Amino acid sequence: MSEYEKDLLEQAEDAAEEAEETVGEVTEEAQEAEEAVEAVIAEDAEDAEDAYEYAGSSAAEAAAEVSYEEPPARNSKKQKGARISYERKKRLYGYGFIALWIIGTLYFFIYPLIVSIVYSFNKTTVGEGGMELKNIGFDNYVNAFRHDTNYTKALVDTLSSTALKTPLILVFSIFIAVILNQKFRGRTFARAVFFLPVIIATGPVIDIINGNMSTTGTSGNAEQFSTLFEANLVDELLEFLGIYNISDRLTEIINTLTSEIFNLVWNSGIQILLFLSALQGIPFSAKEAAQMEGATSWEYFWKITIPYISPQILTCLVYTVVDSFVDPGNQVMEIVIGKANQWEHGYMAAMAWAYFLIIGIALAIIVAIVNKFIYYEVE
Amino acid sequence: MATKKEEKQFEKERKAANKARLKRMKEEGIEKYLTPEQIRYNRNKRIIGAIWPIFRFLILFGLCFVILYPLIYMLSTAFRPSEQMNDPSVVWLPKSLTLQNIKETWDVMDFGATVGTTLRMNVISSILQVITCAITGYGFARFQFKFKKLLFAIVVMMIIVPPQIITIPLFMQFRFFFGSTSISLIDTGWAMYLPAMFANGIRAGLFIFIFRQFFRGLPKELEDAAYLDGCGPFKTFLVIMVPNAKTSFLTVFLFSIVWYWNDFYVSSSFFNNTKTVALMLKNLDAQLRVKLFNNQAVSTRQIIVWLEAGCVLSITPLLVMYVFLQRYFIEGIERSGITGM
Repeated sequence: MSEYEKDLLEQAEDAAEEAEETVGEVTEEAQEAEEAVEAVIAEDAEDAEDAYEYAGSSAAEAAAEVSYEEPPARNSKKQKGARISYERKKRLYGYGFIALWIIGTLYFFIYPLIVSIVYSFNKTTVGEGGMELKNIGFDNYVNAFRHDTNYTKALVDTLSSTALKTPLILVFSIFIAVILNQKFRGRTFARAVFFLPVIIATGPVIDIINGNMSTTGTSGNAEQFSTLFEANLVDELLEFLGIYNISDRLTEIINTLTSEIFNLVWNSGIQILLFLSALQGIPFSAKEAAQMEGATSWEYFWKITIPYISPQILTCLVYTVVDSFVDPGNQVMEIVIGKANQWEHGYMAAMAWAYFLIIGIALAIIVAIVNKFIYYEVE
Repeated sequence: MATKKEEKQFEKERKAANKARLKRMKEEGIEKYLTPEQIRYNRNKRIIGAIWPIFRFLILFGLCFVILYPLIYMLSTAFRPSEQMNDPSVVWLPKSLTLQNIKETWDVMDFGATVGTTLRMNVISSILQVITCAITGYGFARFQFKFKKLLFAIVVMMIIVPPQIITIPLFMQFRFFFGSTSISLIDTGWAMYLPAMFANGIRAGLFIFIFRQFFRGLPKELEDAAYLDGCGPFKTFLVIMVPNAKTSFLTVFLFSIVWYWNDFYVSSSFFNNTKTVALMLKNLDAQLRVKLFNNQAVSTRQIIVWLEAGCVLSITPLLVMYVFLQRYFIEGIERSGITGM
């Protein structure tokens, strides 16, 4: 073979190698390039030239596909270039995977969010071709807090009831999850029942169950048909136990607690499920070790269970707070939705945003504090 | 790895050995083997082991009762004639059963057509939503790209921001789709399908989160192997990851169905004339007054049998689904889990 041919051959081989680098996408081209090189070896100079062109072009195609410039023929440099391109390729694919969501979120989430902020600074009237806005600065916010007595009252009520309810739900659902995690007959049934509220409570059925039958408000008055615990059953039980009327306050507390049980049980389906899954994540070795050391169930609960499920406690905390915060049944949300029905969208947006910011800040503080006490297992 | 059968066998043998050891120890005098603390520990454990199941049963029974009470009440009420609501001798078991309430409520709710619409909308939206959320979740789980943290923060925002904040602007967007006054998506299925198609349906944030957690939990080697064998990322996702995520898909699909079925806030904002089960149930009270009582004032006690019949009608499909697929609701979440959020 002539010098020229050898040169060609080398170049063709280089090209083939290059094509090989991009195996993931262009295996076929690379194979063809290799075949081309073999052809070069077999055939004479003219054919070799053809083959070189072919291999070169296929390599160029391959290079174009991964979008990086043709590197010089130094091997080491080429590999580095190829690796970067792989990373970049993966990054591009990452965007490819979330592209749909990005488009959707821009249009269905971010844009409405911004619009609603704009509304909150404006007086809105519904016109022919959309919303007509009149800028009034912070008036909506000032109104909500300084003139609207309902709003501030509802805000305080909702915040305090959330603050009360959240720890109750958490403790209760941990307790139930621990029980449901034990082995006993009928466990599947019990689990199915405890999870039932998740399916029912998100719908309008719960309104009827709760006794708020009337949506028109003509005869509603919350006649409690379906909840037992309004009855004097509790008082009778207390009397039976001999602790009735020891102090009015105690009776009252017990009464509120028991009448809350219904809400408690119906609101902790998801939390129970989350804790249950966390409990099953506790390694068996931890339990074994605790038993070897002679830990009682009580000690086991506090020293093994709680640390292991502590990340989940945070999750449930956030979930519970958010859930009660966005519940259309709470007072603030009722006011907000009511304002929407009166077509005061600007005012409504201002109220909703103020509420959202307050809860957001409160949540951030709680999470920051709780996060300090959480035990993350180092893997 | 031992199979399940073998493991059971081992467990049996272990228990037998333990029993034999205890028996031997007792014969020789237990003090020889155990310290006083250990004896006390064992005794306490035995006592608790005997008492605890009783307590557990009581607690669970009571709470199950609290949960099932409304359902039992619903069944008991929905099938009794309305007059028996005022009969003091009837508490739980009605004296006669009737299907009249169900039939009348069915007509008032136009239930056949309503269920048809609801089902069509639910199933299409849920399928779209599951697919797009899975793709997005996978993108967040396995790829590194710029602004990933920021973008994921938006996903979390989607969970936290209440829909009430964005519904009105969204309504305007759908009413005047892309600024045109002629295209309105209000009262068409597209108001549900479009967001679902772009991974922004009801509770999409939560679903993306679940999928991300799940895909992060799968071993990375699976994909690396696929890449080496010449699979592109999309093909890898389709061929390798999706079959592995079957339970996860089913779980999210079921949840999606349930939430779409139960949703009345979003659908009440976008639908005026379209009938979905949740909307009809929400307005059932008013409808009943108009259609059955000619707008007379009626107390809740008079009307309750029809209301409960409406409840029975609208949750029966969900309950049937739940009874048959209960395993996937519970175990799916546990396994694909939101664990280690």
